[in-house]
Amino acid sequence: MRMGGVKLDSRSDVAAVTGRMAAALGYEGRVKMPPSGKLPADELALLREWLEAGAEWPSAAPAGPVARHWAFERVAKPAGGGSIDGFLDAARARRGLAVAGKAERRELIRRVTFDLHGLPPSAAETAEFVADARPDAWERLIDRLLASPRYGEKWGKHWLDLVRYGDTSGFEQDPYLLYAWRYRDYVIQSFNDDKPYDRFVKEQIAGDEIYPDDPAARQGTGYFTVGTNRDMLFKVEDTNRIETLTDFTDTTASVFLGLTMGCARCHDHKFDPLTQRDYYRFQAIFVPAVKTRVFLMYDQARVYDLGENTRTFRLYEAGAQLTALMDPYRKAIRQERLAKLPPEVAVAFDTPDEKKTPEQKALFEAHAKRVEPSDDDIFARFSKPELERLHRIERRLVSAFKSFAPGPFSPAVTDLSREAPRTFVPAKGGGLGEEVTAGIPAVFGGADMPVPPLTAETTHRRKGLAEWMASGENPLTARVWVNRVWQYHFGQGLVGAASDFGTRTAAPVHRQLLDWLAAGFMEGGWRTKALHKTILMSQAYQRGSRAPAGVAAADAENVYLSYFPRRRLEAEEIRDAVLQAAGTLNTKMGGRPVVPALAAEELYGMSQPVGNAWIVTEDAAEHNRRTVYMISRRNFRMPLLEVFDRPEGVLSCSRRESTTTAPQSLSLLNGGFTLGQAAALAERLEAAGDPVAAAWRSVYGREPAPDERTRVEAFLEKQTALLGSRRAALVELGRSLFNTNEFLYVE
Amino acid sequence: MTNGMISRRRAVFTAGRGFAGMALAGLMDGAPAARRARSVIYIFNHGGVSHVDTFDPKPALSKLSGEPVPASFAQGLKTSRIDFRKAPMRGTPWKFGRHGRGGLEISELFPHLARHADRLAVVRSCHSDAFDHAPAIFMTATGSQFPGRPSIGSWAVYGLGSENRNLPGFVVMSDGAMKSGAGAYGAGFLPAAHQGTVFRTGPNPVLHLANPGGVSAEAQRETLDLIGDLNRRHFGPRDEDTVLEARIRSYELAFRMQAEAPGAVDLSGETEATRKLYGLDDPMTENVGRKCLLARRLVERGVRFVQIFFGTNLGDDWDDAHLDLWGSHIRMTRKSDQPVAALLTDLAARGLLDETLVVWNSEFGRTPLAEGKNGRDHHPYGYSMWMAGAGIQGGRALGATDEFGLRAVEQPKTVHDVNATILRIAGVDHTQLTWRYQGRDQRLTDVHGEGEFTGWLYGA
Repeated sequence: MRMGGVKLDSRSDVAAVTGRMAAALGYEGRVKMPPSGKLPADELALLREWLEAGAEWPSAAPAGPVARHWAFERVAKPAGGGSIDGFLDAARARRGLAVAGKAERRELIRRVTFDLHGLPPSAAETAEFVADARPDAWERLIDRLLASPRYGEKWGKHWLDLVRYGDTSGFEQDPYLLYAWRYRDYVIQSFNDDKPYDRFVKEQIAGDEIYPDDPAARQGTGYFTVGTNRDMLFKVEDTNRIETLTDFTDTTASVFLGLTMGCARCHDHKFDPLTQRDYYRFQAIFVPAVKTRVFLMYDQARVYDLGENTRTFRLYEAGAQLTALMDPYRKAIRQERLAKLPPEVAVAFDTPDEKKTPEQKALFEAHAKRVEPSDDDIFARFSKPELERLHRIERRLVSAFKSFAPGPFSPAVTDLSREAPRTFVPAKGGGLGEEVTAGIPAVFGGADMPVPPLTAETTHRRKGLAEWMASGENPLTARVWVNRVWQYHFGQGLVGAASDFGTRTAAPVHRQLLDWLAAGFMEGGWRTKALHKTILMSQAYQRGSRAPAGVAAADAENVYLSYFPRRRLEAEEIRDAVLQAAGTLNTKMGGRPVVPALAAEELYGMSQPVGNAWIVTEDAAEHNRRTVYMISRRNFRMPLLEVFDRPEGVLSCSRRESTTTAPQSLSLLNGGFTLGQAAALAERLEAAGDPVAAAWRSVYGREPAPDERTRVEAFLEKQTALLGSRRAALVELGRSLFNTNEFLYVE
Repeated sequence: MTNGMISRRRAVFTAGRGFAGMALAGLMDGAPAARRARSVIYIFNHGGVSHVDTFDPKPALSKLSGEPVPASFAQGLKTSRIDFRKAPMRGTPWKFGRHGRGGLEISELFPHLARHADRLAVVRSCHSDAFDHAPAIFMTATGSQFPGRPSIGSWAVYGLGSENRNLPGFVVMSDGAMKSGAGAYGAGFLPAAHQGTVFRTGPNPVLHLANPGGVSAEAQRETLDLIGDLNRRHFGPRDEDTVLEARIRSYELAFRMQAEAPGAVDLSGETEATRKLYGLDDPMTENVGRKCLLARRLVERGVRFVQIFFGTNLGDDWDDAHLDLWGSHIRMTRKSDQPVAALLTDLAARGLLDETLVVWNSEFGRTPLAEGKNGRDHHPYGYSMWMAGAGIQGGRALGATDEFGLRAVEQPKTVHDVNATILRIAGVDHTQLTWRYQGRDQRLTDVHGEGEFTGWLYGA
């Protein structure tokens, strides 16, 4: 940080200007600090004394006040127990805030189904719940939703946002991370299995060290591999290494601990008690880690690798055979075609690329397509024996590839050995400074990572970190996760900055509630599904979404949850809900990423030829699978998702934006996806006896009101006249309903 | 939630808008430099323009052409393909001339632009260390070699908003495939509304602007009316919710945009003289000419930030200079010199130049050393850019590279310095334009930009 030519993190720089600082504080010159008014005499005297003594400041974190930062203290279960509504009602009562009544049943089932599944309930499910008179109908509904595999698909996506998941690695080539999807499926499965969160953390940070014999657990370390990287660029290995370590350090601190370590990379943190030394000690935990593969099934993995090995050798031979067979014809056809063109074209073709003049280049480019024979041009000239040879090669290729599929591998990391490379804090002005050991930041006790046993195959550094994170002693892990879950349910966390529990984030208004939830979460075995249930069973979650009188003025941000905050669907929810309403949703789970067909104009701006970067999945039924299974390229987001605030997947995203813009309306109104799904819906509506009622049930999960029916029947009549068919009018109806607020918002 | 930016951010949610961003007027209060430009047109030369062949003459390089570079100069430099210790120096094949009253040196590759020499403020001392395209493009456009951060246009419209609600505040025109992908004009962690909207050629410049096939304007109006009626019915008991209201309005805005955007790109009303000026009558200049003319039309309509990416990964590119410096630079300047000069002429003639900042930049320069027989490699350690318009004093050059054009040695300027300057001229203090993300108040210029040179541009 530099201000007024002074590096504020440089002791010598600051020491050199203590005179100027004293003058500014004394309001003696042009610069007056602080600008808001001269300091009182006693404070001024204190500062002057400090400046005169050389403006020294301690390099380690000040132990006093910050050590008492609320989030760095152990979670303490509030005495006398409590409940979500107990805490909230008391807080609200103190402020005299009114509270909304309970939401209608129809609203509740839609709300909770979107929250847990990212999908709307069907009309039948809605009707059943509305009619369910049993006292535990709500609880039964929650249990049913939590038991469904749709749950993991929704909550897995929250996690994938946090860990900056993507199926390609970014930059110019944007190459595929061929097995990243295994990690995606691991995350979805983990949520569906209600894997205890402490275990989920341990598997991702150090599955290889803690569960070395369990491939399913070791898959968790794929977490480190699914981010952006430029491993495919050469000559920048040193930079790449630094960037990879920075990504590991910053993302891990942010996702699991809610700490923003990034600042401390270059200097002691200005706000949090994290020094540069802390940063490099933390980073040293990841220094020994290298990317590797987990063999999900050992024997199949060996067979697969051997098969690949042979196949590759076979391909070299096939390539050579094809070249030998085709090249003579390629040259002949080229010559024939050139002969029909002006001689300077032939000269341009014969001149090596680097010697071509611009004119020759232009000639070459202008004629290349017409002169260069296609494969089919060549095959057309093959003699019968040549054709037979071609088919022999073809058949060999087909048999080599006919069952080609991803192998039983999952991306992972592990350490190369028990010995770790050394880590140094960078020295001021370049070079290596102090050597550090791997450990946790001083403010959390500063423990070194344990020394691995002599027989260990890895450094056990990540193991040490994981066990510290997943222990009940850690003040952050449970609080941060509980707060995230709360945020995903209520739109806003108890702590607003979900990935920043540092000292700049004051204790939340509902601190006791947060601690009560975190303590209960840990006591109950770190079970996320139980946490959901605790939250969803509360009255706070079940309130209506209209603000009671007076609340908007007294509590504009709805901090006291007097009502349930209405929200717009997220990008994936919009797409998935359209598929569900149209009756086309394919609920197949898992597997390699699906590449749906997009219009040419939607594929604009990719760094690579579309034919390489957007290889459309052959089976069109796959295109209607849930959005979490669609490919997420770093260099290109599907326009519909992009416009509705899907994050780029480059940096960890702890909270999505929810914007309202005209391009969203254009995309959802005119895009090919909406049109295709509206057509599918129209086909079903036309077959139904009462298309208006069928439309309302499919899209809204309710019956149309009489005035709605009147309006829509007039609409259908008019559109039938304008567009020439009832079917086309019904397509327009579907297109309309997908664009309405009742569909796009959750009450 | 006491953080000022957070409450602004909430305001962003509730602001019912078209393409328009929301101006953070507070950022301009008491800002030292008054706002000079209403709009920015940023011509980004994709692939890397050779500085020693265009705006940074190096007689010593020509004199020692073919010799290895002195070891002390090559020390510590690396790039994509060549080895600085082995490759020979290569003098420029083009002549430089002094132009305008200021005698600014420009090579013969830019005969049209040279006539505007007194309008151009050249920076000869740009430098960075990103020598691969994608990281260098990200660096130049977003201030970070890593993707995921908001681009300069996104920051500008986030800070300044747009003056035309029916057109995007940040418009991008490119030649298609970019080595960085769309991240070069992405909004990063800013709301998606701030990202660059790609304008394509043809009557429907914006994605999804046209009605679906077979849907007439009348039928589309019927559909929009039904959406409006159903939304208003839904809104009745929820009328305190400004977001719902904003979405209702967003459909009306979309409809107006469908009406206005095609008009903005319809060049049929331009005179024959104007079309000729931009070179629309010549297949070589037609592409860039159309983009530059469109840029002027958009600026006229209040679009805040127009960025033209010239060059593409899958066609003609400045990067063809790897194998063919001569051909590539002749081709690329032949395609762009007249149109870019025409843009300056036309803006000036219409009185728009004083309120429009024109930026001409590239992700890096090219090596003063030879790659192969007739090429130059990527070179971020010293390269040139220029600015014009917005009342800046042209005909001058800032900074210098060493005698062979290798390193910026006088007044070295980083990408952050350049971006800080652009934002300042557009009316925002780069140190105040922040967005809280990952626990930090993020800036386009990170913690840098102290080498901002706005003062120099205005004659200080």
